Amino acid sequence: MSNETHIPMRPVWDQPDTSRIPFKVYTDEQTHQKELEKLFYQNHWCYVGLEAEIPEHGDFKRTVIGERSVIMVRGADGEINVVENVCAHRGMRFCRKKHGNAKEFVCPYHQWNYDLKGNLQGVPFRRGVKQDGQVKGGMPKDFKPADHGLTQLRVAQRGGVVFATFDQEAESFEDFVGPEMLHYFDRMFNGRKLKLLGYNKQRIPGNWKLMMENIKDPYHPGLLHTWFVTFGLWRADNRSELKMDKHHRHAAMISTRGEGGKNAQTTGVSSFKEEMKLHDPRFLDVEVEPWWNGPTAVMMTLFPSVILQQQVNSVSTRHIQPNGHDSFDFVWTHFGYEDDTEEMTERRLRQANLFGPAGFVSADDGEVIEFSQEGFEQKPFHRSLAELGGREIGDTDHMVSETLIRGMYEYWRKQMED
Amino acid sequence: MSDNWIKVTALDEIPDDDVIGVSVEGRQIALYKYEGEVFATDNVCTHGQALLSDGFLEDGEIECPLHQGRFCIKSGKAMCDPLTEDVRTYDTRVDGEEVLLLIG
Repeated sequence: MSNETHIPMRPVWDQPDTSRIPFKVYTDEQTHQKELEKLFYQNHWCYVGLEAEIPEHGDFKRTVIGERSVIMVRGADGEINVVENVCAHRGMRFCRKKHGNAKEFVCPYHQWNYDLKGNLQGVPFRRGVKQDGQVKGGMPKDFKPADHGLTQLRVAQRGGVVFATFDQEAESFEDFVGPEMLHYFDRMFNGRKLKLLGYNKQRIPGNWKLMMENIKDPYHPGLLHTWFVTFGLWRADNRSELKMDKHHRHAAMISTRGEGGKNAQTTGVSSFKEEMKLHDPRFLDVEVEPWWNGPTAVMMTLFPSVILQQQVNSVSTRHIQPNGHDSFDFVWTHFGYEDDTEEMTERRLRQANLFGPAGFVSADDGEVIEFSQEGFEQKPFHRSLAELGGREIGDTDHMVSETLIRGMYEYWRKQMED
Repeated sequence: MSDNWIKVTALDEIPDDDVIGVSVEGRQIALYKYEGEVFATDNVCTHGQALLSDGFLEDGEIECPLHQGRFCIKSGKAMCDPLTEDVRTYDTRVDGEEVLLLIG
């Protein structure tokens, strides 16, 4: 262990690989600003929401990309637009509602108004006021509304999910995700219409990357989430795979319970603690669905903004919304499919209780992220270890590896150190 | 309903190819003189809180000063975004030097 205790100006990697991660990547505000620029605003497609959240013309949802406020809105033509929530005039975040329906966007400060594509429509007193037979004030003659719209983002939709990017040059969404991950994306979003079930929202006092790492870390679920183990949802002998895209930025943790997803109550699989029983066993009333094609859980990270979750019958997106280097909001959108039976909708809702800020297995993720951040802030010259399964990076057919974390930081270094 | 023609202003109160606002029986009315003829509409825009008489009359259309929505002064038709609703028009008549308005 290093005795070096001076605090470097920026993250220092003490070897060529990424098996030791400097704490500084989590504690440095300058690094954070650079991440926002390079990982959220350039080159990357970020999650904004589900089409099912804005079914009607004029429906909108306010959300963020990185730390920029944006609005996802269904226009008068039915197309989905994403615009930046900053007035072209004096820069106000004009939209304050989280969800709503609008015919136009109006900034309350000076009533500049925009159509639902973000084009500037009207500027109060653009031509001045008439006084004593004269026209006074107003915008210069060469003022062109077309030059002063809201920032309009590129939008990609696939399987009912909406992504956007500020980067007009970024590769296509499909190329961004890559064929390896697209396979799992399309498994969950296979063209069936989605049905919105509800939200959970929590603020986690830790660096946003820790949430990506949490879902690239198959080491912890059986150790931290004792609830999973106790009730038989996680077993060390589950068949499992870790897969990445070619850049190693996105990943999927794929696992299949030997029992094909049936719960302990119906199959007699013994839990770790035989004497512990759920008061309401319906939390684990798992029903195998044809679209799974085997895996009972697939946890995907689409870097940098979203986690796509299938844990047995619970399906959700988890949106990472940074606010500073040491905090992020984590927004869960639970959904189902339009052709779900009422029983299946109930089942998905019940199983959603396993997750989220008060969930049986993910309240603890928020806590360990907070405590990790505390450790980093206390010792910013130090580094963490990610050597499980070796120091190299590659897909595996087991869960005892931190290869996905090493892969993410290999990509991170390429983006951040050029 | 019987015709109810009301004197609203003297003809020369309305400048040529321009608009003024008047109040008639509690209603705010915009009066236009365009190519020698007089037209009338409601004065409050159907979109924002603004008086059309503060706007600009061009080519037979009144442009609202607030958000540049334009109405045809003859038909009241909303000609462009952000307008979604036409504005009400009124029949007018010139009797000598007086402008009369038909309030239905």
